Amino acid sequence: MNIGDPLPDIRIPITLHRLVMEAGANRDLSMIHHDTKIAQATGAPDAYANTFFLMGLFERQLREFIGLERRIKKIGPMQMKTFNCVGDVLTVKGEIIAIENGIVSIQQTIESDRGTTTVCQSQIFTV
Amino acid sequence: MSDPVWGKWGSWEDAESCVGKVVGVTTAPDAVELGAIRRWLEPKEFDCALHTDKSAAQSAGYRDIIAPNTMAFTYGIGPYWAPEDGMSEPGYEPRQISIPVIFDVPAPCTLSFATSVEIEFFDPIYVGDQITCTSKLVSLVKKELRVGSGAFFKQEDTYTNQDGVKVAVAHLDIFRFNPPEKSKKEVS
Repeated sequence: MNIGDPLPDIRIPITLHRLVMEAGANRDLSMIHHDTKIAQATGAPDAYANTFFLMGLFERQLREFIGLERRIKKIGPMQMKTFNCVGDVLTVKGEIIAIENGIVSIQQTIESDRGTTTVCQSQIFTV
Repeated sequence: MSDPVWGKWGSWEDAESCVGKVVGVTTAPDAVELGAIRRWLEPKEFDCALHTDKSAAQSAGYRDIIAPNTMAFTYGIGPYWAPEDGMSEPGYEPRQISIPVIFDVPAPCTLSFATSVEIEFFDPIYVGDQITCTSKLVSLVKKELRVGSGAFFKQEDTYTNQDGVKVAVAHLDIFRFNPPEKSKKEVS
């Protein structure tokens, strides 16, 4: 692993079906995440992905990069810049930005037609 | 949806009296089990043998199948219904996710949103573990933003297993506020 190395992208379309599956599985039943009318009443374009889903996507990318042996130290801080809505196609990107004292720091983002929607800094152990 | 109230109402003195204190303890309604892990993996299209295959997990140094790291969040959520809650009537208000610094800490704010979340992992979460989440309000910083006047609340969630072993610690930053017209009227 070297500074500047990219992580393999993840591309995933957001559908209401996926958000309903996610809400049932991760137990964040806030209605903004699975009810279009309620989400729109709060100013969002449509129902949008919740924090747990986005954190899980970042974990998936890290895990697919490091394999089964290495361990994840930390995910976040993660900031949501705008919505990840029904109809959006998300691309999760990542890049190694530092390697120090046995810890690899990774900058992760989620991109869509809305731009960079989510940013996250994560850390994994080198061994 | 007009004039929504999102959180427990109270004064700034009430809110500040909670800083440094435990504001919520939630024991997951279920032990960690394979079906819940599989359903968590599905919508993310997340294929990892550590979470499905005991021999693969053991080859990687674990004693059994482990839950995904960030699934800790899910085990910090209590039940949405229990028999003592009784039967719902038509028109009932669906229960949404309970975040202690919003729903258990009183403050003179009607709205809120999360600004940042992070989670650090310690021991693995194994199938069969019973997870408890202890939430503390670690700080409160008043702030005026474009969306309104309010304060940043930092919640620290410590996740432990049935043996009291720390498995993860999360920090959640929430901005609780009133939109500008409400701030002038109700917050002094």
